Amino acid sequence: MTVVTANKLLGDPVDRVDGPLKVTGAAPYPSDVTYPGLVHAVLVQSTIAAGTIRSIDAADAEAAPGVLAVITHENAPALAEGPMTPLLGPAPPSPLKDNRILHHGQHVAIVVAETLEQATAAARLVRIDYEETAPVLGIDNPEAAVLRNPWGLETQRGDAAAALASAEVVYDETFAIAAGTNNPLGLFATVARWEGDRLIVHESTQWPTMARQTLATVFNVPENDVQVLVPYLGGGFGAGLRTWPHAILTALAARLVDRPVKLVLTRPQMFTSVGHRAETTQRLRLGATRAGRLVAIDHVGTSTLGAEAANMEFISIETGAAYACPNVATHDRQVRLNIPSPGWMRGPGSEGNFAIESALDELSYTLGIDPLELRLRNYAEVHPQSGLPWSSKALRECYRVGAERFGWTRRTPEIGSMREGNWLVGYGMAGVTFGGAQLPCQVRVSIRRDGSAHVRSAATDIGTGTYTVATQLAAELLGLDIGQVRVEIGDSDLAPAPPSGGSSLATSLGGAIRDAAGNLLRAFLNVLAEDHRSPLQGRRRDDVTAADGRIHLVDDPSVGETYSDILARHELDELAADGEINPQADGAGMAPSGPFAARFAEVRIDAELGLLRVARIVSAVDAGRILNEKLARSQIIGATVMGIGMTMLEETIFDPGSGRIANATFGDYLIPVNADVPDLDVVFVGEPDRFSPIGSKGLGEVGIVGVSAAIANAVYHATGRRIRSLPITIDQLL
Amino acid sequence: MTRIITLRVNGKSYENEVSPRLLLVHYLRDVLGLTGTHIACDTSQCGACTVMFNGESVKSCTMLAVQADGGEVKTVEGLATNGKLHPLQQGFWEKHGLQCGFCTPGMLMSSLNLLQRNPDPTPDEIRHALEGNLCRCTGYQNIVAAVQWAAQEMKAKPAAGVAE
Repeated sequence: MTVVTANKLLGDPVDRVDGPLKVTGAAPYPSDVTYPGLVHAVLVQSTIAAGTIRSIDAADAEAAPGVLAVITHENAPALAEGPMTPLLGPAPPSPLKDNRILHHGQHVAIVVAETLEQATAAARLVRIDYEETAPVLGIDNPEAAVLRNPWGLETQRGDAAAALASAEVVYDETFAIAAGTNNPLGLFATVARWEGDRLIVHESTQWPTMARQTLATVFNVPENDVQVLVPYLGGGFGAGLRTWPHAILTALAARLVDRPVKLVLTRPQMFTSVGHRAETTQRLRLGATRAGRLVAIDHVGTSTLGAEAANMEFISIETGAAYACPNVATHDRQVRLNIPSPGWMRGPGSEGNFAIESALDELSYTLGIDPLELRLRNYAEVHPQSGLPWSSKALRECYRVGAERFGWTRRTPEIGSMREGNWLVGYGMAGVTFGGAQLPCQVRVSIRRDGSAHVRSAATDIGTGTYTVATQLAAELLGLDIGQVRVEIGDSDLAPAPPSGGSSLATSLGGAIRDAAGNLLRAFLNVLAEDHRSPLQGRRRDDVTAADGRIHLVDDPSVGETYSDILARHELDELAADGEINPQADGAGMAPSGPFAARFAEVRIDAELGLLRVARIVSAVDAGRILNEKLARSQIIGATVMGIGMTMLEETIFDPGSGRIANATFGDYLIPVNADVPDLDVVFVGEPDRFSPIGSKGLGEVGIVGVSAAIANAVYHATGRRIRSLPITIDQLL
Repeated sequence: MTRIITLRVNGKSYENEVSPRLLLVHYLRDVLGLTGTHIACDTSQCGACTVMFNGESVKSCTMLAVQADGGEVKTVEGLATNGKLHPLQQGFWEKHGLQCGFCTPGMLMSSLNLLQRNPDPTPDEIRHALEGNLCRCTGYQNIVAAVQWAAQEMKAKPAAGVAE
């Protein structure tokens, strides 16, 4: 128990425990699952964005070879709506409710056939007659319904309007960020099978506990009769935080044809069916003194939303927390359009960071203050909204260490003053204050007579390394070797867990494992309470610790015995204990911190051609205790590259007339490739977090935040062109 | 209408009756049950389905099973020999060249093809050789390190990386 609480920042860089399975192709993803008698489903999607279905002619499809069913709103049974979800709000509307079309690509039928080829061919034979109406498209469309403060997340402190009116320096600009699509490499798949009234679903989800609850509600069966399995997932990035209509349709199809049914989304369907980063616009006003003190922030964030869907919007969620500014007002707006429902994509809130950190850069030029110094002058020593001390904050260290590694002092402040041959060189930086939650989580941990431990929870590993850090933590807490611990997750029948999302899981699951490990040691001591043969008889939890497969006295490691000896003597096969975490920030006397970071970017721009290249990015990150340095570094590098995509490449384009996504393939929607990636340096600073039972803070998302502003600020430094819209494309630099 | 094809996959002979429209990747996954080869796009851009065909890397979503008739296919399942990981597999594990693992099999097969052509590639050569294999998780940096690691290992122990 000692190591977790010790002031040790970097956990051992253990090789990931699922490595061998993944390099041999043996890790089973949902799309790999098959069953005897399994049949295949293919979706039919709307080719209009708004209107109604006048009629469906499915006769040819039904008569096609191998076809078992064509399910449309005309013959589908009514399905209940999914439940409210903690963290995310209402579930996406259930499919095939009626004949209304709310977006291009809406699922209007599902075709089931013996083979995938037969289902694909038959889906093309479904003839749909639409009554088309003019879709509401475009974030600035005056006809669109606007929701104001839909989630009650707006921040108000002081009097921002008055402070702006009297500020010595006022900044007022707008920002625009294109829609983006999560695009995990793994195509989302659902394999559904009914055994009587029991439903077993292999599902691409980041949250089995929620998926089980949603399917149980929609099909009106007890939660215990639904099992959701996802031992491995081909990435998620937020797309798997919902149980989307295609999964419900697959389960419905399996029930109606009474066979196991597999549906694998196509890449274009990954753009229309599992959410995306909403397009956003922002208006940001800052008031400051000439000495560079912020006196007012007024931040309006507007994002797109589906016609009837819900999506919690986080544009300005960190605006009030990032800097010590007495007067802050944030305003959240959502605009209803005839588009597929947006959802969370890695790092919601990174949009707001782009605006704030770009604006501070602009202010630094206006005031003639170094950008880094300007941030330090407004450093939030305590949480600026609550006034409480942070549970941990090493942002100042991020700035210092990051600047040193980057060589920030080499920067000459004048625009265009750094050159290398034909290339204009620019340095830019950004600060990052990000959220991160601990969420309720449960786990069961047991030790068997052979001395091995078994950790079980309905958590998931979407690639981040949950298996590995859970193995490490359990081994450390129970005094076992890594090889003696087996972690079983990705099964909704196990103890309820939060999602792999919101940068929450490692800390939440880790806290639950810590609780369970303590309870398990108590359980062993209980067994020994009356055991005169044990040197540990009558000892209490605080008296003992665990190492080398045995429990021993803290004061005298020679006094103790092994788990195996205890279990064998008492003729027990195993002992198990449950653990949980149920974090309560209220009354903790501190503001629970998320991760902090500082990003430094160097760009090169060809003065004549406008070509933009990122040469290097340095990231200094405070994520509390780092559980596994190898995995953590990879999270930051991977997210940084996704941030480069967001900044320079990625844009989901909705055709303004039809609402169809015009670039829904990997040929047209560009994500960074190997040859796009610059020199990336990551350093972790800080210390274990006080509010987190294991000292860690989330780091799955923070790596994407701040990349855009650091690059855009470097572009300005090189060229004098201030780009306030993403992605930054060559036409903006010519 | 079906056709009978005969081919070797990972050193084993197979004869199957297949539909002419069946893609090689679906043959491998659904007929032979070799699900290590993944599908991640519909347009031959992602490289997740890369396998070796007659000694060269191919995207198996871009080939019909009938076109592989009479040929020799190697998939990720055939990369290890007698339970011992290929240096590339070791490298991707050791250097953390993967997260979700979905792109990994295709990435490994493309890397194998690279090292057969160029046993000592520079980082830049690796990046360009693998730019047709998309990864959304790792940021690629560790993938480059993994391939370099394997190249060194194969130079030190030439027998370790012998590909059939």
